[in-house]
Amino acid sequence: MKKSRLFIGIAFMVLFTSLVMYNFSSSIGTYVDFEQAEDREGYRSYVIGTWETEMPHGFSMESKTFNFHMKDEQGNVRRVVFNNAKPANFEDADQLVVKGTMQNGVFYSDDMLVKCPSKYNDSQPVELTSAES
Amino acid sequence: MIGIIGKNLILLAFFSSILAIVFYYLDAKQQKPLFEKLAHGFFALKGVLMLVASGLLIHLIFAHQFQYYYVFNYTSLDLQAQYLAAAFYSGQEGSFMLWIVFSFFVGLGLMKWTSPVYRSPMLFFFSITQFFLLSMLLGVNVFGTTFGASPFRTLMEQMPQLPVWQVNPDFIPADGSGLNDLLRSPWIVIHPPVIFLGFAMMTIPYAFALAALWKRAYQDWIYPALPWALGANLCLLIAIFLGGYWAYETLSFGGYWAWDPVENASLVPWIVGMAGIHTMLVQRRSSSSKKASLIFAILAYVLVVYQTFLTRSGVLGEASVHSFVDLGLYNQLLMFMLTMIGMGVVLFVLRFKEMKDMHREDPILSKEFMMFLGALILFLSGLVIILGTSSPIIGRLFVEFPTPPEMSFYNNWSVPFAILISIFSVVTQYLWWKKVNSAETLAEQLLFPTLVTAIVAIATIMIGEVRNPVYMLYILGVWFGVIGNGWVMVQVLRKKPRMTGGTLTHVGFTIMLLGFMGAAFDRPMLDEDTVNYNQAVSRGEVLDKDGFPVIQPINMVELKIDEPKFIDNRYWVTFLGGEVTEKNRPGESEYTIRFEDTKRNGRTFFLTPVMYPMVANSSGGSMNWTVDPEIKVGAFHDLYTYVAGSSIVERLTNNQNNNASEISTTTEDGEIQTRVIRVKRSGFLELDDYKVTFQDFEFMQESEYPENATIAVRAILNFESISSSDSSITIKPEFAIVREGEENITWAPPVNLGDTGIVVQFTNVNPQSEEIELRISGFKSVNEPEWVLLTVEKKPFVSVVWLGTFLLMIGFSVSIFRRWNDQVRRERNEKNRVKADDENLAYE
Repeated sequence: MKKSRLFIGIAFMVLFTSLVMYNFSSSIGTYVDFEQAEDREGYRSYVIGTWETEMPHGFSMESKTFNFHMKDEQGNVRRVVFNNAKPANFEDADQLVVKGTMQNGVFYSDDMLVKCPSKYNDSQPVELTSAES
Repeated sequence: MIGIIGKNLILLAFFSSILAIVFYYLDAKQQKPLFEKLAHGFFALKGVLMLVASGLLIHLIFAHQFQYYYVFNYTSLDLQAQYLAAAFYSGQEGSFMLWIVFSFFVGLGLMKWTSPVYRSPMLFFFSITQFFLLSMLLGVNVFGTTFGASPFRTLMEQMPQLPVWQVNPDFIPADGSGLNDLLRSPWIVIHPPVIFLGFAMMTIPYAFALAALWKRAYQDWIYPALPWALGANLCLLIAIFLGGYWAYETLSFGGYWAWDPVENASLVPWIVGMAGIHTMLVQRRSSSSKKASLIFAILAYVLVVYQTFLTRSGVLGEASVHSFVDLGLYNQLLMFMLTMIGMGVVLFVLRFKEMKDMHREDPILSKEFMMFLGALILFLSGLVIILGTSSPIIGRLFVEFPTPPEMSFYNNWSVPFAILISIFSVVTQYLWWKKVNSAETLAEQLLFPTLVTAIVAIATIMIGEVRNPVYMLYILGVWFGVIGNGWVMVQVLRKKPRMTGGTLTHVGFTIMLLGFMGAAFDRPMLDEDTVNYNQAVSRGEVLDKDGFPVIQPINMVELKIDEPKFIDNRYWVTFLGGEVTEKNRPGESEYTIRFEDTKRNGRTFFLTPVMYPMVANSSGGSMNWTVDPEIKVGAFHDLYTYVAGSSIVERLTNNQNNNASEISTTTEDGEIQTRVIRVKRSGFLELDDYKVTFQDFEFMQESEYPENATIAVRAILNFESISSSDSSITIKPEFAIVREGEENITWAPPVNLGDTGIVVQFTNVNPQSEEIELRISGFKSVNEPEWVLLTVEKKPFVSVVWLGTFLLMIGFSVSIFRRWNDQVRRERNEKNRVKADDENLAYE
């Protein structure tokens, strides 16, 4: 009796663990650059990069999307179409993580992570405003 | 000076924590009153030192001592008192301090209420956890390695590379960098303290479990540990709730839960803590499940430490929106975690053979076994979540730079777990409260709730138009949980009202699970045109201007002022107007939206979502805008509304980007407008039909000066008609300051703009910023239609989630009360028994 229950328990745990790990491995992705995202066209990718301030950007009233250009860590610049308003802290971000799919050389994103220097990363020297001696 | 005192206080506290550990150890080994006194003494001393240090830090914050990095980084002069107070624990160092202080108070409670068998051993382990927490705050350099980060370090110590120190070593910034705008919410005052209180209390079951292993007393520890474990879980529950409500109500994260690693990190200890509470209850009733109780008690705290490690070591990096600053504590945090795990594992393995669940094996259909299985399911669900959360570490098994798992990973696994938990909770409750000894009697007893469940679930599925078979199963299972547990609760309430805590938590928990179902049916509420557009997008029929298909649907509604739109086939929404109110923050604008509910006889209500610029975060010329959503709470669904963009905000941002700003607009006789604007050199802004550009200054020749003028300039302004591109007029209004006796008088003759009827006056100048002020009158007031982009989301069953959470909290509180009283009575009986024994001895 005891043995059989233990056996069932172990068998269940093995099954459970393999199922979870399998599912886990298939639901995580990897951070890619724009070129790799192009190869995965149609699949969801995560790209890390920075906003290209010099390139045109803005909100399109027609498609209700926020459009901007991002430079990934390899230096590739692509247009990103984000289907929501410009996220908070966007201008101050020292890093953006866009999630979405690449199509026709444009990255369509529905989720964006905005990382800000001052509050989240102390290694950046803080801008000191006025002095008092 | 204060900083040096503070640093040394922490150092002293650190040393007394070491001494406390030593003496608790000696006392646990040899039971000498002297050792115990010394140990308690050092424990208390450490607490007092930390209290004083905390007081000093709070003083520095309120006194705006910006030479201290912590004060500089988390506060500013404009911060209100409640946020200054909250700044104490807004940063990583301060939150460690708060944790230590809470854990000190909890420790005092333990000294008072723990039986002597466990007291010293458990306070020994308890002090070890404090030792590690304190080490995070040291900020001392030993042999080239820095340990901890002191909250009292100065700006110079933090950033020695700044050039300003060479010029002026006594430099003190005039203002701090301030608290993130998103954190300026009353919730920051309450949410973190509750969570750290929960963490501090979570230490208790852990310390008890290790003490039990050490002293080979495997049974009795659960009685005193149970109310503490319940208390810790209640605290974590409240904290999770507050965090979720905060995210939902003000932070516009889009919902109350996003499976963010930081959120998960507090959820998992809670779930494992719950599993532990259940096995402790089994053990309490029948002395079985000893090992499981010990494992869960240890694991719950290890997970608290693990989550601390994840969120504070920088491991999460890209994965989370709100992980802490990386202070280089990686190694120390790792040591902390490994020690906690190591002590647990070593003691457990050493004692493993001795621990025997002395009695027979529980039959499958027994409350003990069912409850144990239930705990196991809870534990497994926690395991899945922690796996997903650990993706930056564990994911490396599969890919090089792992991303967090898709949200569906968590959601998909939660569904079967929720169903299982619901069913097991009902079955176990029936076994627990009723005399059930066979599967037949159980089935008989469950017949009625099952029937009711079937009816209610089918009704829900039909009304909610649920098509997905998995959701149907979920609804069925979870309704079974609500109804079955509710049924038991009613009966317990009638017979033993004091004991309803447990059943109430089950009812609350299952109601909460029922509410979670609603999240699957969140949807944006859109007008027909947008719905049609989205359908065309999904068919791939919409092309952008480059000829590529548009793939993203629109999730918001564009509303022109006073033009109603019909959304979701139910509500007429009208944008009635927006204005810059500056109610709570500078630059804040508020929008009034009217909703008319056609399904309720045209009942109307108004929502006023808000947009505001994030002043503390904005730098340079750019301005960041964020939203403050407004929620119409309903019993069955909430309407979650925010303004994603508006004509007002667009104007403000454009002007700011173009180095111009509009100060005021006044309308006379209902028609003619006068507008006051400020423009910097080469800045421009659009007024009515004109693009007004301030091209340059021109200093006036002395011959052109008015008499006695001290300064005289001329502005070159270009008025470009927007509608007809070739018409452009340049005018040069003049400005001078004239001395008349003692007074300075502004001289600003009006200049006509051709024959347009528009009159321009150059009314002021700021030589430093090269900004001029213009007063322009004579515009015919043209009503540019104001607009907003409104996002309205229908979020079903959010109120149900809150209801479940509240019931859960009440249930926990009732249980704590009951277990506490039980424990007090137990101890009294035990003391009496000991006393009786003593008296018997005396008589012999």
